[in-house]
Amino acid sequence: MTASVEEIRAEVKKLLDEGAVKYVIGYRNGSAGPFAAPAFFTGAGEADELVWDPTCFHNLARFLADERREDVCAPEAEEDGKKPVGVVVKGCDSRAVAVLLQEKFVDRDAVYLIGVSCEDGGVIDEGKLARKLGTAKVEKIEFGVDGGFVVTTDEGPIKIESADILDDRCVECRAAYPVVHDVVIGEQVDRKPEEPYGSLDEIESLAPEERWEFWERELGKCIRCYACRSICPMCYCDECVADTIAFAVTADTTADEKAQKIKWVERSPDNSENFFYHLVRAMHLAGRCIDCNECERACPVDIPLRLLNKKLEKEAKELFDYDVGFDPDVPSLISSFRDEDPEDFIR
Amino acid sequence: MNDRFEPKIVAFLCKWCSSAGSDLAGVSRMQYPANVVPITVMCSGGVSPLYIFSAFKRGADGVLVSGCHPGDCHYIKGNLYARRRLALVKELLEHVGLEPERFQMSWVSAAEGAKYTELIKDFVDTLRPLGPQAKLRRRV
Repeated sequence: MTASVEEIRAEVKKLLDEGAVKYVIGYRNGSAGPFAAPAFFTGAGEADELVWDPTCFHNLARFLADERREDVCAPEAEEDGKKPVGVVVKGCDSRAVAVLLQEKFVDRDAVYLIGVSCEDGGVIDEGKLARKLGTAKVEKIEFGVDGGFVVTTDEGPIKIESADILDDRCVECRAAYPVVHDVVIGEQVDRKPEEPYGSLDEIESLAPEERWEFWERELGKCIRCYACRSICPMCYCDECVADTIAFAVTADTTADEKAQKIKWVERSPDNSENFFYHLVRAMHLAGRCIDCNECERACPVDIPLRLLNKKLEKEAKELFDYDVGFDPDVPSLISSFRDEDPEDFIR
Repeated sequence: MNDRFEPKIVAFLCKWCSSAGSDLAGVSRMQYPANVVPITVMCSGGVSPLYIFSAFKRGADGVLVSGCHPGDCHYIKGNLYARRRLALVKELLEHVGLEPERFQMSWVSAAEGAKYTELIKDFVDTLRPLGPQAKLRRRV
């Protein structure tokens, strides 16, 4: 990966100098060791703090939902409010924006997309890194010159093969080049992963009963903190069906009101409720999840949520030949159909 | 009294075809198992995955969604949306390890009372050996 941070900084600086954008969402060094953190750049002077390294996991499209909620792009907003928001997007993030555009949640004019191509690299997996290095204290993680990564620990820099610590989603990435963008930094590299759904092989080879045991164990850990929902760029509903905050039953709630607001899922982290929540979330992300894997990264109890979302991505491709996030102008997966959709499961 | 397991099936039937089909089975006095709780919905396309997960959570042993044959939908294409969406639901339920037989979908027209009775008989016969559905059933 050779997209240079200098080029990104120069672009951000230019945009902020010209006043072309309201602000830029990018990455800067986080407070948690070597990992980058999302950052909002409002002045050209800050642009030098922007970083681009293999720890830029975050899908910054997530912040567009907050942005839209503030409604800054409404016609009645201040002059300044009409300016687009600059966002640094990797290939996967740009597909998230493409889905938001497809759903008309975000206006194309409201965003200025600074695309960064991951070329043949990607971001690292924190878990894989920790397993690889053991107890060594990591200070810095950089892209190596020939694919691969250079990890600086307290014992000095180490070269690590890309395959050892590259995140699974990047291993299976089909489009490291931003799909929608206003400017791109980095080269376009064609990526054809050998097994785009390889991470599903293991679970799919299990017998139904074993699969159940797997999910019962995994989802049984869920503490229902809703971190997966909070970090998801697609979970932008004001009111979530899993957690209806506006529905409090009081002494004077009428039967009619209760009937109109069904409590589909209880808040208790019992496994039956956990399954309900995660099944509903998977369905709501069908044809929308672009595999940024932020849910799994954010999960405090390490539930392999990617295996749920990836499964539906795979089925969307295999059953309906639907690619998620490649074209903002096609109808979404479940708001469309083809005459030849499979119906062999229907009697 | 026998203590044979009687599965409980929740059937979401569309108002225009499948519900009328089940009605035809009834008025024609066709015999079929009484294990079904029919719920009439306006269109199979209006069956949210929430309904299906919820039925399983509240103890259904099997869920059936039935609509008009493709091309016969009262709303022109509701059943075609349902076909796509519920195919994903089916895949997802199988993925988490629910027995695939527990969720079925069918096209039953208003004239197909006989098909409806056969469908229910077969569904009950496939569910009986599986025993009660305890996986997604609510425990709190």
